Amino acid sequence: MSGPLLRVEHLAKHYGGVPVFEKVSLEVARGELVAILGESGVGKSTLLNALAGLDVPSAGRVELGGRALHGLDDTTLAHWRRAHVGFVFQAFHVLPHLTVAQNIALPLLLLGRPDHERVGEMLAAVGLAGFDARLPRTLSGGQLQRVAIARALVHRPPLVLADEPTGNLDPDTAERVMDLLATQVRAEGAACVLVTHSLHAAAHADRVLRLAAHGIEDA
Amino acid sequence: MGTAPGIRTAALLRTLTLPEWRAHPLRQALALLAVALGVALAFSVHLINQSALAEFSAAVRAANGEPDAALVCAQRDGCDDALVDALAAEPAVTLASPVVEIDSYAVGRDGPRVPLKLIGIDALQVAAVAPALLPHPADGADRTAFIDPDAVFLNASAQQRLGVAPGGTLRVQHGLATVSLRVAGHVAAGGAALAVMDIAGAQTHFGFDGRLTRIDLRLAEGARADALRPLPPDWTLAEADDAAQRVANVSRAYRVNLTVLALVALFVGAFLVFSVLALSVAQRTPGLALLGVLGLSAAERGRLVIAECALLGIVGSAVGVAAGTLLAKAALRWLAGDLGGGYFPGVAPALAFSWPGALVFAALGTMAALVGGWLPAQRAASLAPAQALKGLGGTQHTGKAAWRGPALLVAGALLALAPPIAGLPLAAYASVALLLVGGIACVPALVAALLARAGTTTSPLALLALQRARHERDAATVAVAGVAASLALAVALTVMVASFRDGVSRWLDQVLPADLYVRTAASSVASDQAFLPPEFIGAVSALPGVARVEASRNRALVLDPTRPAVTLFARPLADPARSLPLLGPPLAPTALPGVYISEAMATLYDLRPGSTLALPLAAAPVTVQVLGIWRDYARQFGTVAIDDQRYRQLSGDTRVNDLALWLAPGAPIDEVQRALRTLAGEPSLLEFVATTQLRVLSLAIFDRSFAVTYYLQAVAIAIGLAGIAASFSAQVLARRREFGLLVHLGLTRAQIIGVVAGEGAAWTAAGALAGLALGLTVAVVLVHVVNPQSFHWTMELLLPWGRLATLAAAVLLAGSATAAISARAAASHDAVAAVKEDW
Repeated sequence: MSGPLLRVEHLAKHYGGVPVFEKVSLEVARGELVAILGESGVGKSTLLNALAGLDVPSAGRVELGGRALHGLDDTTLAHWRRAHVGFVFQAFHVLPHLTVAQNIALPLLLLGRPDHERVGEMLAAVGLAGFDARLPRTLSGGQLQRVAIARALVHRPPLVLADEPTGNLDPDTAERVMDLLATQVRAEGAACVLVTHSLHAAAHADRVLRLAAHGIEDA
Repeated sequence: MGTAPGIRTAALLRTLTLPEWRAHPLRQALALLAVALGVALAFSVHLINQSALAEFSAAVRAANGEPDAALVCAQRDGCDDALVDALAAEPAVTLASPVVEIDSYAVGRDGPRVPLKLIGIDALQVAAVAPALLPHPADGADRTAFIDPDAVFLNASAQQRLGVAPGGTLRVQHGLATVSLRVAGHVAAGGAALAVMDIAGAQTHFGFDGRLTRIDLRLAEGARADALRPLPPDWTLAEADDAAQRVANVSRAYRVNLTVLALVALFVGAFLVFSVLALSVAQRTPGLALLGVLGLSAAERGRLVIAECALLGIVGSAVGVAAGTLLAKAALRWLAGDLGGGYFPGVAPALAFSWPGALVFAALGTMAALVGGWLPAQRAASLAPAQALKGLGGTQHTGKAAWRGPALLVAGALLALAPPIAGLPLAAYASVALLLVGGIACVPALVAALLARAGTTTSPLALLALQRARHERDAATVAVAGVAASLALAVALTVMVASFRDGVSRWLDQVLPADLYVRTAASSVASDQAFLPPEFIGAVSALPGVARVEASRNRALVLDPTRPAVTLFARPLADPARSLPLLGPPLAPTALPGVYISEAMATLYDLRPGSTLALPLAAAPVTVQVLGIWRDYARQFGTVAIDDQRYRQLSGDTRVNDLALWLAPGAPIDEVQRALRTLAGEPSLLEFVATTQLRVLSLAIFDRSFAVTYYLQAVAIAIGLAGIAASFSAQVLARRREFGLLVHLGLTRAQIIGVVAGEGAAWTAAGALAGLALGLTVAVVLVHVVNPQSFHWTMELLLPWGRLATLAAAVLLAGSATAAISARAAASHDAVAAVKEDW
């Protein structure tokens, strides 16, 4: 394996002079799943936003595949994000008016690369074969999160960011979802950063870090 | 056990609704403003109408006094005054007060003529029946001035308009000359310019020797006026309220039309309330769902939304009543009491505020808000709590109500065929309302049909928009319906006014064939005193540059004491088909004198070609036969056209009021006018107008009388567009999580704005098409039913496509721009954070 896919150096974020986090540095290799623990309000989601280019850090640098995000305008960041990042959210955020297949295909459509085969592959990979024409309101929470995972990986992004992906799930379902996420991330060779306050979720990671106000450290 | 529903609703209002309103003050302010604006418009029109009518009626009553009964002469030239002595001998009569009522013009200090009603009275008797007409000599004036035949007493309006004070001279027109009278004091009667003088002086100066126009009676206790019958043939018995009733009837159609138009503003306001509340409910769906899960029943959720509407309605109506009062005060000051309609000339009434009226319009405003909120309340009641909590609940489209729209349209079409009720197009108004509501109720089906035809797409942005619209049809329906409603009203009014204006313009071309028109009486009311003598007409015919002169006489005829007077129009009618805008070929003349009546006369008096009627042209009524019907846009209450030679034979009346002059080719019109002024001797007693100028003037009067319509049209569009803005803004707010997700997935800000703006443009375009179709349908009813039933004239339907296209384009542009502006907020940084929201 070559150098780290994701490199973060001395990242800091302040809001109105009040620090959220500081001196965050980490590296994530291709196919590696890194979990970041932290208390509520410590800035885990803010860190993910900074990694995704959705928030401008107050200091530091983020590089993905050797390309720095620093100094890019919003449009460039948006184009970059649609090709290079996949998201899994706590609240699923599956669009209620699209079918399961259409939800999964959304990143491919945004890239102008519709690929029905790939969508079918991901449906099967997450155990939802045959669900393509179903509407989200007919699915359970666990099924919805699997749709979200399929959507996050359908376009083979190098980076997957998961923000409390099991926060709305029962323990058994959460376990299955984390298994799936870890398996798929490794299978696709993506670097995955997972923020969570659940030790059970973090147990699936290759590394577990803890985010605090003064920085990030091994948990 | 448990709190009463009302108490719980009040608690929910306090704990849930008020904080939500505080969090979104602009949205609620918009709904409140819509109700307030609708109520303000409707109430102000009502107040203006009532104030003007009250003032005018009071003035009429002051001028007519309050007798127990009155005998009115059918001839405006008066009837034999010997009847007074006969009445004085009647046991049923305790007082017979003779009156000569003359309508003419007074020449003011600054020159221009002012319409003046001159009343000749017996000052020793008038106080008992019409105290407002009692002359009050000025300080220092002779105490017996009230029996001086050359003295006159002015009311406040006459003094102010004429600029003549006690001691000054008033010149009153008689024929083409003036009678000089000395101003000796004042009278208390209000209203338009009025003068009172001794009856003998009025009879002598104005050609009423031995004649009266009215006798006011005080009856003995227990006596009835019927005891005086039979009356001489040229006298009629008038009830005390006949004059006031006639005044009310003159303006009734105009007042009702204005009020209906103002109520339309209330309807549009209700729609805005619906738009705001529909989307407020949509945005609060998770919260309402949580309440449902925690135990708030469907009925209670519905009651909460209804209570919110009621609160909005009450507060908005209160604001509206206050604003409407101020608006009415300003309008009465700047636009007089008839808002340009010309029904209350010379009246600048004070505001007559009415608490019952205020309560009625406040109730209407609250009802409008409740009507607007009914459907959102149903939605709040019917949502599925479990689904909605997951953010997956949408409203179910069962299609159960799909029949309502077409049913309402059919009902509206059938009502348009109904006849007037109490002389007003009430069924037609109901038809317009049902057509509008029915058309809007068809919008969901229209939206569904458009979506069904849209097919599939691989474009992600189009896919997002289409799929959203297919599954969240209500939001699209609200947007389309809002555009359709506001544009429909604007289109209907534009077509109606354009049709009417075009009709008037073409009518003017036919009824104004001459080059120059000269008149001395501006209306038939004063035409008996302001007339042109025969020698003047002969002299005009001989003027250089004048090729042909046509003289005409117009006078008022009272055929029914409870109805406004009709106008008799005597002019050369050798070829009536050429001279009059006839509707169909005329009948051949018969032994009876033939007349041609206007559409209004035919409708009001139930006449048709071949009918006969009795006209009070002479001492005894003359039976005439209707030979044809013509279109007359100048006189709303009926016109009878008769050949001038025949008229003179029947009536002995040789007076002429108007001259139509055809000039020789190349004759300078200014020089002819100068020569006419020289001939007249007193130039201020004549009015000249070239045909082109008359056309411009007539159309300007038309535009002025429709000024309020244009204003209401603008308000309807403004309220509609505000509703669209609220609709799109709230939709965008409700979709923040969706937009946040799209930002995460890599959509650019411009693309998100494009998606929303594109949706906005698409739905606005659909709404514009629907509004255009609906507006044209309503216009047909306005042109072919409401107008004829209100004003008794017909017109051809004209479709001003250029103006309609401009309206539609303006609405499309405004709707798209509004959506784009709303979308900018959607693509903001806050949208990114929205994905963290629990729902």
